[in-house]
Amino acid sequence: MSSFRYPLRWRLMDALERAADLLWPERLSRFTGWLMIAPALLLVGLLVLGLAEMADGSLRTLDRATFLPSEELSLANYETALGSATYWRVFGRSILGATLATALTLALAFPYAYALVRVPGAVTRKALLVVLFLPFFIGQVVRAYGWLIILGNGGMVNEALGLVGIAPQRLLFNFPAVVFGLVQYLLPFAVLMLAPALTAIPAETETAARSLGASWVRTIWHVVLPMARPGLIGAGLVTMTLALTDFATPAMLGGGSQDFIANAIYDQFFRTADQGLGSALALMLVAAGSAIVALVLGLFGAGTLAMGARR
Amino acid sequence: MIHRLTRRGLLRGTAAAGSAALLGSVAGTRLWAQEPEKPAELIVRAWGGSWVEALKAGVSDPFTKATGIAVRHDLTEDNEIQPKVWAAAAQGRVPPIHINWDTTTNATKSALRGVTEDLSGLPNLAATTDLAKPVGLDGYPIVNTYGYVYVLAYRPEVFPDGPPKSWDVLLEPRFKGRIALYNDGIGFHFPAQVAGGGSLEDIPGNMQPAWDFIAKVKEQQPLLGEDPDFTAWFQNGEIDLACTISTNAREAKKNGVDIAWTVPEEGCKFDTDGLWIPKGLPENELYWAKQYINFAITPEAQQVWLDGLGLPGVVPGLTPPADLANDPSYPTKPEDFEHLIRISAQVQVENESDWFAKFKEIMQG
Amino acid sequence: MTTAGQRLAIWSLVWISILILSAPTVVVLGASVTSGNMIAFPPEGFSLKWYQKIAMARDLRQAFGRSLVVATVCTLVALPVGTLAGIALSRYRLRFANALQVYLLLPFTVPLIGSGIGLMLVFGEWRGLGSLWPVGVACAVINLPFLVWSVSSSATLLDPDLEHAAANCGAGRVQTFLHVTLPAVMPGVITGSLLMFILAMNEFLVSLLLTDARTVTLPVQIYNSIRSIITPDLAAVSVVFIVIAGAAIAALDRLVGLEIFLKSK
Repeated sequence: MSSFRYPLRWRLMDALERAADLLWPERLSRFTGWLMIAPALLLVGLLVLGLAEMADGSLRTLDRATFLPSEELSLANYETALGSATYWRVFGRSILGATLATALTLALAFPYAYALVRVPGAVTRKALLVVLFLPFFIGQVVRAYGWLIILGNGGMVNEALGLVGIAPQRLLFNFPAVVFGLVQYLLPFAVLMLAPALTAIPAETETAARSLGASWVRTIWHVVLPMARPGLIGAGLVTMTLALTDFATPAMLGGGSQDFIANAIYDQFFRTADQGLGSALALMLVAAGSAIVALVLGLFGAGTLAMGARR
Repeated sequence: MIHRLTRRGLLRGTAAAGSAALLGSVAGTRLWAQEPEKPAELIVRAWGGSWVEALKAGVSDPFTKATGIAVRHDLTEDNEIQPKVWAAAAQGRVPPIHINWDTTTNATKSALRGVTEDLSGLPNLAATTDLAKPVGLDGYPIVNTYGYVYVLAYRPEVFPDGPPKSWDVLLEPRFKGRIALYNDGIGFHFPAQVAGGGSLEDIPGNMQPAWDFIAKVKEQQPLLGEDPDFTAWFQNGEIDLACTISTNAREAKKNGVDIAWTVPEEGCKFDTDGLWIPKGLPENELYWAKQYINFAITPEAQQVWLDGLGLPGVVPGLTPPADLANDPSYPTKPEDFEHLIRISAQVQVENESDWFAKFKEIMQG
Repeated sequence: MTTAGQRLAIWSLVWISILILSAPTVVVLGASVTSGNMIAFPPEGFSLKWYQKIAMARDLRQAFGRSLVVATVCTLVALPVGTLAGIALSRYRLRFANALQVYLLLPFTVPLIGSGIGLMLVFGEWRGLGSLWPVGVACAVINLPFLVWSVSSSATLLDPDLEHAAANCGAGRVQTFLHVTLPAVMPGVITGSLLMFILAMNEFLVSLLLTDARTVTLPVQIYNSIRSIITPDLAAVSVVFIVIAGAAIAALDRLVGLEIFLKSK
């Protein structure tokens, strides 16, 4: 009689349940969400500690006789940054560049993710995935070299244009080149963020809309896009923030005259050794980026994240 | 037994034996038996590519051979190691490197900040030229090891009648979009001051002529970048002219890029690089780090190291590499220096941020 | 259900993307077999000398090993943390949800230079520099939003009623979590973790500030070795890297089937 035993799995599960009840009683369950998010808050807390160090640094000006930060605190670095027409121009360029890059990236990422999710063949789908991951392994420096060979004055594209009688065009080292580079860099991220959201939309929904007489474009516009909105917002936020803080693309493809704000921060930290001013610029960029994120979330809701919430 | 070795004695010692005999001793009064414990390795920050190869051949490998101490090279850029070393000093940590091969300007910042060890006691300093001594600093917080020139590099095929004579060539319409400068304009400010009709004595007080000239250059839509960019741009036919360090132009040429260089009549910026030791090392590692630098300024080490770089050293009697004999970027005689502009590191570090900001202001417009 | 015209519209955009994504890679791959001393396309002659060169380079192999360690630490740290956070954000009504989002996106709104300097100071204060784990943790921090978001967007697939149903059938909280919630977000966990691993393998700027000569990782080693010239061995390294990654992903595909995370219902 007593030889009957529940399978190990069951007993294990029961033990886990009991442990959970002991460590995290049912009455605490309205805080379960917070318990689960706490480790992430702590991990990102490392960054906040770093930001606190930088905040302290940003209040100290550099003494160029000793190259030490000042003892006394002041807002001088912020005044310098805000009073500089160059920084405003660079900041404006960052915002414009990031916005354009986001729009273009989403415009390309949506059909890509759509094809990825809807294509029937497994081989094609895997190929599309491989193409997505490929650029990660070519670092920015070598990638920029690749672009030089393709888009440079004597590059492959200009050579092709020459064959049809078009004079060489300067395709690199200008603002459009930076935006283009950003799109290329961000496209894989956007697709990977979008694809799960599109997976969530059953193909039958589209079929239904079509059978009710909606044209394909209208189906996409009125059915698929709204349903994909959470994914689009998620992908858009990721693209926007990464573009806004990017350093390598403007440096590599901008020819030195298309700096984004992160390049200005780099210059202060690494070229002029003025960590105070660099910190002030970095913190202002964080504030601006966070404000944009908050604005988008406020306007469109928390995107993906509100949908599955427990009622 | 107390050893007090002359430089010549040291040189003879090379062939003999014993690391102490080869390298001399810092205070000149150390006993053999008291030679501090050898660390397993020394970490020397260096620039990558042919730069580190040259250092390895001329200094690191012979040093290892003589002392048995391995040398590891940290290839972090000089600008990028600086905050790491400074943070280590501020937090009381052991610095990440033993020796920093650095630009004199950057090293001066570190010296002013007080994170450098004094190197005045190195015995081999006695046999060096004035160039080894950092200008405007007390003692030797850094030992300069060679000089270099920011030349005007050009593509010979577009100058069939010989090298350009003046920096004004940058303003010729045919070079619109086909010239390159360093990102921070480094190396170009001083010749621009002369080319813009100003005088060097006015630096740093009045540099308006330089800014006027640079503003005109901006109209030519220059590309800004770093050394590998310049090489790539020359190789792929993007640019015809660049203000760059001769070593990099020479390196590009060695690798088959069609490139030559010149010192225009307005002159070129001449500056130095050096070696220094960050504070905070254990006593014995400091001792051997000093030995490394002491060895780096022996004629033997300099000859091989600087052959690789193609640059003039800080000890007399070095032979220029064959391809650089009488090259304006390799000054040897007093008259060679007439066209080279040297501004003290102190003036540079105090004003560099402003010059850089001004340059950016023009270029980002 | 789609007509030829629609397929053309979608696929022409997809082909543009494919071209943009892979063109520089293809060029660089081609350039790795040049017999010249500089990257060129088409390559000047054919030679494997650059592969030979990197095969001989012990420092590159060691750096590659360290990058593997860093990427593993990063993934091990980020995987549980990001998965839980992604589920929490999508399955639970948390107050100040928008503020939490802004906070959790800090890794992207802080420029990498800021993250690098900040983390260098923090880990320096804790005397953690000089080992590899801080680099792994740092990579986990700066890329965490990818994992959080890919998990939470997968969670939208899950109907909350399923969880309730499980609970009604007598499943405990742990059981519901393990058997209902977790499987539903698995696609997001796999995509996110893969991305975290790959990004940590390739991270440069933050790693630069957190490593030293003894703990240097592959991307830092590669890009710091450039001074005057970008030599074809860098292209060869990328090729080797892609081949290794391709093999690893293929193996993973065999084991767990990468398909699952994109299959349309």
